[in-house]
Amino acid sequence: MRETVEISLQVNERAQSLRIEPRETLADVLRDRLGLTGTKVSCDAQVCGACTVLVDGRTVSACTFLAVDADGGAVRTVEGLARDGVLTPLQQAFIDEAAFQCGFCTPGMLMAATALLEENPHPTEDEVKEGLDGNLCRCTGYAPIVAAVLRAAEAGR
Amino acid sequence: MIPRFAHRRPRSLADAFAAFDAAGGDCAWYAGGTELLAVMKMGFAQFGTLIDLKSVPELGGISADADGALRIGATVTHREIERSPHVLRHLPGLAALEREVANIRVRNTGTLGGNLAFAEPHSDPATFLLACDARVELAGPAGAREMAIDELIVGPLTTSREADELLVAIRVPAPAAGEGRAYAKLAFFERPAASVGVRVRVVDGAIADATVAVGSLTDLPIVLPAAGAALAGLPAEPAALDAGLGAAIAVLGEIDAIPDHNGSADYKRHLAGILLGRAVTQAVEEARAHA
Ligand SMILES: Cc1cc2nc3c(=O)[nH]c(=O)nc-3n(C[C@@H](O)[C@@H](O)[C@H](O)COP(=O)(O)OP(=O)(O)OC[C@H]3O[C@@H](n4cnc5c(N)ncnc54)[C@H](O)[C@@H]3O)c2cc1C
Ligand code: FES
Ligand code: FES
Repeated sequence: MRETVEISLQVNERAQSLRIEPRETLADVLRDRLGLTGTKVSCDAQVCGACTVLVDGRTVSACTFLAVDADGGAVRTVEGLARDGVLTPLQQAFIDEAAFQCGFCTPGMLMAATALLEENPHPTEDEVKEGLDGNLCRCTGYAPIVAAVLRAAEAGR
Repeated sequence: MIPRFAHRRPRSLADAFAAFDAAGGDCAWYAGGTELLAVMKMGFAQFGTLIDLKSVPELGGISADADGALRIGATVTHREIERSPHVLRHLPGLAALEREVANIRVRNTGTLGGNLAFAEPHSDPATFLLACDARVELAGPAGAREMAIDELIVGPLTTSREADELLVAIRVPAPAAGEGRAYAKLAFFERPAASVGVRVRVVDGAIADATVAVGSLTDLPIVLPAAGAALAGLPAEPAALDAGLGAAIAVLGEIDAIPDHNGSADYKRHLAGILLGRAVTQAVEEARAHA
């Protein structure tokens, strides 16, 4: 039996109504139905954090989160950070600190760090590390990423 | 891709059982999905219907009695537990444990009920709650019952829950006078390599009785009565404690541990011994605060 369900949600503050199959993950819906390919899928196992998005302010692994569970909710992805081409202080800090190389982890890092800073605008270095624990980067060695988040916090995000 | 399924979102316990009935048994309860969706994705399980429990109000919420007994709803997430003022106040060891479970994303969605119902041998909460003598409330169409953690978890990925039964809540008794409870683990990967939960009761400056539970070594968390007995009589003083732990550590050294990607059986037994020391020290500290 192929069941479909209607879901209504906000994605980066825009209302979306979609008819989907319950088995579709939030990553599937964002990438394949809405064309928001900033959200990456890498491990597909809730380990790497490349797929991190915010649902009602909480970080989730979009690779293993059913889109039906975002019904009625507000989803934020990396595409929702910059406004009218103006980067957030966090995004700018990633550039200033050279906090990415290949960039595959970056959307997830940005969303995890965005959630962290919204909850705790002035984290210590340890709190930043704790907040990003579970977001893996194979390129940078993490130090510039931590520095970028601290710099953004200083910039009074 | 996750195999196709129908999705139901009951808004009450009665509706949940009705949905189970309507699905004719070809269904699974679904909470955070951090385990269930993963095994479905890997092709290890397939269900005609998933019944989402997150909107069933009877399964949510954390409450505490005046004496410190806790009741945690099955659909409460790890993250909610780690931040709950009730848990921080009455069972700080559980809040500390929860802060170290998985990563923030899994903690944001994964639930305590899903963790216990899945009965994964490396479960952190199962090991600690076993040491705390926690009880699990279940409900089914035939009625409600409750049981201890080691009555619920009877094997790897195996519980004594009936298919149509639900975990409703977990109850942790209030600490007795002079009682302390603590948990210590070591993890190299996502889940612990070894973990130890301890409950001690301190009377007149010495451990009067204790419970020791060990997780991740065998295919389900276990209580070691001989290790608890070996702790009894030890002075509740850090220096003297360290010197007196040998007999309890020796009991852990007899565990028929399963070697895995974390290390050999010997190594895992060794870790458990170290963790026992850490957990006992912390539990004694908490016990002195409750004296
Ligand atoms: C990357 C990763 C790291 C992890 N690390 C840890 C760790 O360090 N420590 C640890 O302890 N765990 C860890 N886990 C396990 C984690 O998935 C569980 O702790 C989680 O809480 C499971 O809950 P859930 O709500 O997601 O369960 P679900 O996946 O929704 O369900 C799991 C099982 O329980 C059943 N079920 C769910 N709720 C109920 C209920 N109320 N009544 C009856 N049956 C029910 C489902 O049918 C299913 O069989 C990790 C998982 C991942 C993916
Ligand atoms: S792709 Fe989702 S956590 Fe790695
Ligand atoms: S920049 Fe390549 S994985 Fe982080």
